[in-house]
Amino acid sequence: MSFVILLGGLIIGYIIGHWKQREINDQLKGVLDSFSERSDIRAEFSIASLIRRELSNLKEEKQDLIEQIQTLQDLLQSAPVGYLQVDADNHLIWCNQQARELLSIDRWQPNQSRLLLELVRSSDLDRLIEKTRSKKESQTKKWIFYPGYYSSSLEDTYGQKVSLKATSYSLANKDIGVFLENQDSIAQAYKRWERSISDLAHELRTPLTSIELLAQALSENTGSKQKKWSQLILGQTNRLINLIETWLDITQLQENSQQQLNFLNIELHSLIDRAWHELTPIAQLQSVNLQYQGLEQIHLKADEARLMQVFTNLFHNALKHSPTQTSLQVDVSFLEDSQFVVINIIDMGKGFSENDLPHIFERLYRGDSSRSRSSPEYAKGSGLGLSIVQQIINAHQGSIKAFNHPVTKGAWLQITLPLNPT
Amino acid sequence: MQSQFPLELKYFQRALKDLEQNLLRMGTLVEDSFRLSHQALFERNLDRVEKVGLLDKQIDKYYRQIEAECSRLMSIQSPVAQDLRCLSAYMQLVRDLERIGDYCKDLAEIAVRSLSYPPLECLSKIEQMSRHAQLMLATSLVGLADLDADIGQQLKELDDCVDDAYKRIYNELAFQENVQGYVEPILLMSLTIRYIERMADHATNIGQRVSYIVTGLRK
Repeated sequence: MSFVILLGGLIIGYIIGHWKQREINDQLKGVLDSFSERSDIRAEFSIASLIRRELSNLKEEKQDLIEQIQTLQDLLQSAPVGYLQVDADNHLIWCNQQARELLSIDRWQPNQSRLLLELVRSSDLDRLIEKTRSKKESQTKKWIFYPGYYSSSLEDTYGQKVSLKATSYSLANKDIGVFLENQDSIAQAYKRWERSISDLAHELRTPLTSIELLAQALSENTGSKQKKWSQLILGQTNRLINLIETWLDITQLQENSQQQLNFLNIELHSLIDRAWHELTPIAQLQSVNLQYQGLEQIHLKADEARLMQVFTNLFHNALKHSPTQTSLQVDVSFLEDSQFVVINIIDMGKGFSENDLPHIFERLYRGDSSRSRSSPEYAKGSGLGLSIVQQIINAHQGSIKAFNHPVTKGAWLQITLPLNPT
Repeated sequence: MQSQFPLELKYFQRALKDLEQNLLRMGTLVEDSFRLSHQALFERNLDRVEKVGLLDKQIDKYYRQIEAECSRLMSIQSPVAQDLRCLSAYMQLVRDLERIGDYCKDLAEIAVRSLSYPPLECLSKIEQMSRHAQLMLATSLVGLADLDADIGQQLKELDDCVDDAYKRIYNELAFQENVQGYVEPILLMSLTIRYIERMADHATNIGQRVSYIVTGLRK
């Protein structure tokens, strides 16, 4: 009897054990199902081998990820820009060789936990990182960095500086990543580019002047058919000479603006009238008239010939784009403190295209719409008109901005000039 | 004992780290301020003067904040050994830094006043002296960041250089004969070298205090 009870107990125990085992297996399968991305048939395999397979897969994936991180880090290491990353407490986690060179980080070994400020004493960088942390968004900042010179090499390094542009990103775990670019080389490259174009322009001027003279001689000494051609040559040559001289003019104004200008007391209203008068033939052809509003007498210190150039250029531009039978609006007023005068020139044409607006003062920039080469012959521009206007205004310590006027929809140029430039 | 309060200890270490970070921030600002007043004085770059004034306000803010934090940690956490030395040295250190910041402001004021006079002959020597003092300040801050025990001695040697320069330039200024025109430029320059000499002294003090944190010995 007791044997039967024992047997019964064992059977019940076995059943309960088996049932528990099934439950655990089901749970494990459930876990595997919910975590694993693989959906192949599982029933054939034992739960242990399934788990083993899952683990080895995970291990492989981890290895892949580690390799990926390593590749990315290698990429960053050889990137042409500097990169550094700090953790939530501003410890430097990692930086590439470029960043080390740009910021003169010379007392740091990878895997060493050090505050960034211990290695780079730059309040600008510190503030950039703090700002990124508090605003939780990417920031960009430019500043001049002076590497600390603490060794005994006093003469060599004092005053060494590098202009940096930094862009920071807020990363996971409150880390902050910062890209650093050396701006010196860009500025230098731009200067070299400008210089080589100016040199080229200089070189072109002499042969072009000979061509001009020869074409003139040809057109005076040939028959009627050849005369027409040689006059075409003359016209195009003149255009080229004009372009080159304007370019050289802009370069000179940019380099030493003060020496290029002859400041005298002038009256602005009459100057605007005279500039308009010069363009009367074109204005009459298109029946466009000038509408002057605002101050009658404005005396300021400026270079008369240069300002004349500004207004004839701007009026000429405006006329090119004004429909017939319209008016060109010019209004002149003081800024609040009467130290600056503001001149608004508004036409009734189609205005600038939105894409062109940010670039119109750039040299040789041409818009692609109505304000471009497809305009009639007389309206062709050199692509330098607005650049020289801007350079002249800058040399007067003023500024010029371009908009589209909300009412007339035409181009709106706004000039601000100081009455007494220093 | 220590393992009984791991959380509190962690909090204290963290607070100490924050304190060090703020101290370095303040040091960086003082360094910026010194550079700006140098540029104002020797490159006659007057838009630097205003910036020196702004920096001085920030430096003062850090000074008060760090001092308050030091005494708070001292009274609440009752630290021992190097931590205690750290806190007491920090309290002295911020005063040195703040004094250097004040002298920067004085130098910037001199820059404004001396603008109306032609530069004196000894100006390039004074500039050299000012560079050397900046080198000392930078060295002391690097020493602070690295907790370098030898930094005190190193700065003492550097300071001798500034002291020598001070004596030489002082004699040059004081024993001029047949001085024509106003005496103010000479006065301003002698104040300048005095200020720079004091700044170098404060930088030396910082170095001494850093050595004290590490070794516990006052020299």
